[in-house]
Amino acid sequence: MTAYVLKTLWRHRTRTLLTVTGAAVAMFVFCFVGSVQEGLDRLTTGVDADRSLIVFQENRFCPTTSRLPEDYARVIEAIDGVRDVMPIQVWTNNCRASLDIVVFNGADPQQIQKTRPITLTSGNWQQFASQRDAAIVGRNVAQRRGLKKGDQFSIGELSVNVAGIFESTVPSEENLIYTSLAFLQYTRGLDAVGLVTQHEVLLAEDANPDRVASEIDAKLRASSVATKTRRKGVFQASTLSDLVDLIGFAHWLGYACVGLVLSLVATTTIMSVQDRLQEYAVLQTIGVRPMRAMRLVLAESTILCLVGGVGGTLLALTALGLGGFAIGAEGATIAFRPSLGLAIAGTIVSLVVGVAAGFVPAIQAATVPIVKALREP
Amino acid sequence: MALVELRGVSKSFRKGDEIITPLDDVDLDIDSGEFVSLMGPSGTGKSTLLNLVSGIDRPDSGTITVDGTEVTKLSRSKLADWRAANLGYIFQTHNLIPVLTAYENVELPTLLLKLSAIQRRQRVELALAAVGLNDRANHYPRQLSGGQEQRVGIARAIVAHPKVVVADEPTGSLDTETSEQVQVLLQRLNQELNITMLMVTHDSHVASIASRQLVLDRGKFLEAIGS
Repeated sequence: MTAYVLKTLWRHRTRTLLTVTGAAVAMFVFCFVGSVQEGLDRLTTGVDADRSLIVFQENRFCPTTSRLPEDYARVIEAIDGVRDVMPIQVWTNNCRASLDIVVFNGADPQQIQKTRPITLTSGNWQQFASQRDAAIVGRNVAQRRGLKKGDQFSIGELSVNVAGIFESTVPSEENLIYTSLAFLQYTRGLDAVGLVTQHEVLLAEDANPDRVASEIDAKLRASSVATKTRRKGVFQASTLSDLVDLIGFAHWLGYACVGLVLSLVATTTIMSVQDRLQEYAVLQTIGVRPMRAMRLVLAESTILCLVGGVGGTLLALTALGLGGFAIGAEGATIAFRPSLGLAIAGTIVSLVVGVAAGFVPAIQAATVPIVKALREP
Repeated sequence: MALVELRGVSKSFRKGDEIITPLDDVDLDIDSGEFVSLMGPSGTGKSTLLNLVSGIDRPDSGTITVDGTEVTKLSRSKLADWRAANLGYIFQTHNLIPVLTAYENVELPTLLLKLSAIQRRQRVELALAAVGLNDRANHYPRQLSGGQEQRVGIARAIVAHPKVVVADEPTGSLDTETSEQVQVLLQRLNQELNITMLMVTHDSHVASIASRQLVLDRGKFLEAIGS
């Protein structure tokens, strides 16, 4: 009976192709929206987001407006529960929401190597540490901008030599370009000698993040610049709050895509069954059980949905893998990465929607009044 | 004991305000190997009787027993199983599945039985040989003539080795020459393979190929001609 199902789909190949394409496009969008959601979740949860703090200038948002003394690091280091402090100068080409945000993080190369969850896929740390204008570039930025080791990359007043490309277990890291702290501080226009944008505080294993954050702010309140210290995940979520709202809305777009596939496949299957009610009556006359007739219809709708849905999912995952897409604002970025979770979700959604879309027409086929259908001209 | 037994079978339909009773307390016995034709004017219940024997319709009252199984008591699913194993149905308009080849159309009923792939192939080849269409096995219905399509329909009806084959106006949509060929084929299948047949026709010439001819009028068998 498999041949019957496949040949039926092939017989109406234009209809089949249109339905499969529609399902593929909808699942493509569903996976893209899913990857944005996943990117946001990764940014605001996980070890990196929870076990490190960001010290930022109080009441400041865009990195260009936060200017903290670099030597705050020594004060912070002395606080109980702090394992390490990394002063970071941030430079971004765009403080507003952008799909092609470029974010430079200037920090001590040795600290970067020691503390950041990154691995060089090309280039070497030695060149990065010794060459003043050297930069290591995250995989996503390199993909988007077509950069490789040895290239010169210029944007605004900044011009760096790509000393290596890195990948990271934290996808948002892959949207960053790291340089030495001094290089960014001395960049024309920043005028940031002795100043940094933020301090990243790594916590000891048993430290309570909220207690340490309060203590840092309390200790620095009397200093020249007041600070606001938050968990990294909270800081990033707050920085991207406008985008978080948009992503929350896009989440409904994902559901709409599922609804679209459902109605598309259901319409095609209902049309297909109504065109062939007499055929189902013939099948039941020669001995096909009603339940089997039902399964034949469900198989049709599920195949349509699976082929389209899995195709769209694979296409989305490939685009996400190759495109290095990210969205960012105020120096924080959300990376869109392909994931096994998305592949599984795409397949399961396609399967479930395929079965659901075929349910009503399957009942029609199973309960067709045989005599009446056979009498139809 | 007859292979097919109808006892007190009645069937009525509502048509607008009117209630039509094409079958009224009908009794009928068909023996194994018998070829029975059923004639009568339009609307006298010939096809209704055929559909009741096939189990694709249910009587309002009475019982229908085929080879000891009271088909009127079976559920829709059980009836489907029963038809797959015991009944062949030849349609007036062939009703082949357009997306399947002649071979696949004939193979369909065998897929519903517990047969190995080899057994299925043997049966399909035998059935196609019996209707003289082995050389058209890979053709689709649209590539066959009306007569060839009907012969594929006949092969599909006999492939599962059913106890009864019912035919609803099997020559109704064919030209005279093709109709003659199909009549000869049905007669040969009955005589050589000893298949029990119940055929509905409005054509007395076609009816004459049967060993027993019945005429149905106003819900009753009015006469029986020949034997």
